[in-house]
Order: sequence, then C-alpha cells, then structure tokens
Amino acid sequence: MTASPLIACPKCRAWLLDDVFNREEMKPCPACGTPLRIEVFPALFREAVSGPSAQPVMIEGESSCFFHPQKKAVVPCGGCGRFLCALCDCEFGAQHFCPACLEAGKSKGKIKALENERSRYDSIALGLAVLPIVFFYFTIVTAPVALYVAIRYWNKSHSLVHATRIRLVLALILSLLQIGGWGAFFIYLATRK
Amino acid sequence: MAEPAYQRLTRDRIAQQFGVVAVPRVSLWLGSDHLLLVEHSGFTETYKRFYFRDIQAITVRGTPRQTIWNGVLALPLAIGLIGFMISAAPTRNPPATIFWAIFSVIFLLPFIVNNVRGPACVCQLRTAVQIENLGSVSRVRQARKVLDKIRPLIAAAQGQLAPEEVSLRLRAIAPGAKPQEPEPPPGSPPVLA
Repeated sequence: MTASPLIACPKCRAWLLDDVFNREEMKPCPACGTPLRIEVFPALFREAVSGPSAQPVMIEGESSCFFHPQKKAVVPCGGCGRFLCALCDCEFGAQHFCPACLEAGKSKGKIKALENERSRYDSIALGLAVLPIVFFYFTIVTAPVALYVAIRYWNKSHSLVHATRIRLVLALILSLLQIGGWGAFFIYLATRK
Repeated sequence: MAEPAYQRLTRDRIAQQFGVVAVPRVSLWLGSDHLLLVEHSGFTETYKRFYFRDIQAITVRGTPRQTIWNGVLALPLAIGLIGFMISAAPTRNPPATIFWAIFSVIFLLPFIVNNVRGPACVCQLRTAVQIENLGSVSRVRQARKVLDKIRPLIAAAQGQLAPEEVSLRLRAIAPGAKPQEPEPPPGSPPVLA
C-alpha cells in the first residue's frame, strides 16, 4: 500500500519535499545526490472515498437486492439482469455488474479490460514446429501437433498487443513441410527395392 | 467488444528477475485510457493496466549502469584493439589480425550501443495501492520520450500540478511540518495568540 502521499527517494528513502517534482530535467536528491525526475499528478493528493452503503427496504413490495433481500435494489446487473443493492453493484466503466458476472467475465475473457493473462497459442504452435528440428526425429510427433494447434486456434485472439498471425502461418508452413518430408521418407521406404 | 488498439511505447526488454523455463520480457504499451505493462514469459502474456486517472506519480532514478557496462566492456575492447594493432603491424600476421578484429568488434558493438542509448535509469509508477517497476524503461532518454507522451494524457484525465504547488502540498502534510496559515487581509486587526 502507498497510503501516504509523501514521496521518498527510491535510493535513500529520504522524504522528498522540493526541487525534484515536475521538472523537465533530472535533479539530484537533496539527501543522497541521486539524479531524480518525479512527475506528480493530482491523484496523489486525492482523498480516499468510502463506497456507498446499501439502504434497507422501507416499503413492502419495493424491489430488493437478489443477494441481500433486506436491502433496496438500485440497479440491475448488466450481465444477468438481477437486481443489485449499492453494496453488490460493481460499476465498471459505464456498466453495472454483480460480483458473479464480473468474476465470470474475467475468467471467461468476456470483459477484455479485466483480462490479465493470455496463452500465446501462436507461439506454442511455432515452438512445436521449430524447436524439435534440432532433434529431428521428434518432428514425427510434434509436426502434426503444431499443425493441429495452428488450425485449432487460428481464429482465437492471441495477444492484446500483437494482432498478427505470422507465427501461425510460419508454424503451418514448417509443420506441413515436416509432415511432407516424413511422408516422402515413408514412401521412399515403402517403394525401395 | 472490440479489442483496444495499443501503441508501443517501449520495446521488449528482459525483466530484472530470473526465469526457470524462459526469461520474462516486459514492454510498455499505450491504450486509450491506460498504460499496459505486458510481461511475456514463454507462451503466456501477463497484463497490468494503469489507468491514467489512477496514476499518482512516475519516478525516474538515474543509475550508474551505463558507466558500469562501459567499464566491463572497455577492458576486453582495449585488449582486442592492442592485439589488433600489434598483429596488423609490419610483421603481418593475417590470421591473428582477423582474430583480434573479430574479438574487438564483439565488444565494440555493445560499447557503442551502450553509449548511444545514453544514461541508464530505473522507472517506477505509483498508484494508490502499488509501486510498479517499469522494467522496459531503462534509459533516461527513453523515459523522457515516454513521459512526454503520457504526461498530457494523464493531465487530461486528472489535471496538472505546478512544481511549487506540489512542494507546498507535500510540506503541508510532511511529518513535523507546520501547515501554512493564510495571510490576514490588509487592515484586519491583529490575531491574539
């Protein structure tokens, strides 16, 4: 936690109060002389805001929270439509979700902004196509697997930041070449007299 | 939901930690309303998002890494150049000359790159709940470029602070610092202690 808005020198841990903030050039730390440049933004001084508390149902028949029947509903969930009280309402951008939908959205990758890990199937396919070349006999197994992975995950998004399919294409070409090579080798063995 | 487009801020750089299977590499990307720190480790990518509205401070600390690398590279480079000059002398020893030339180039190239990239630094990003090392920002010039790009975006999300304002606010909350009292308007009666 960084609860205190004070900023310490990253090297000597002395509190910094002057000179080094929001300057164009690096300035030495007054305590240890380490060159520093620190950009400070208004969020540093923003007070922590406590979340809203759920209101109890006052009138009989008033809509209540799905998870807390004694609490007044304030908004429906954008994922499942259940009524939510202020406590269960997870506001995400302009949308409102219940905790279950938010968790499901994260784990199933439906809410991209919550996604924090991806498997790179394109790298896996390319790795399977390239790495076993060193031990060539392994390619009899790994080439079909690389081909399968490349086709199976062709339409799956691979990376948030790299939108290209070049690895998959290379994996396809290499694995097809290896499979073709093995095929030619077995045909040669079968037809040899 | 369409995936956000990201603009690369820094190239992949080996994170300063050890990996068992693969060495993790990190890179920094600019999104529409956040920074994305991508860690590539083998066949997975891990994402950390820092929304502009949440960034409290960015710290750039100068380090002696450039000087250390210069020292490490200078010694074998000097040996290589001396060997090259001796072997290229009138006595002529072509194999030795080629050997020393290759030996020198091996150390000369990283020496040049190290100096072209400029002074080294460590960059940290601070939010209300974490201090994150931006491992891919490793040179002062690079840090300046990144800051020049993201500072206006953060300022658009939060506003800006003048250097004097930061100092005043920090002094007001620093331990032992007396809060500044507003000056009495001219002509008002003196305040009795």
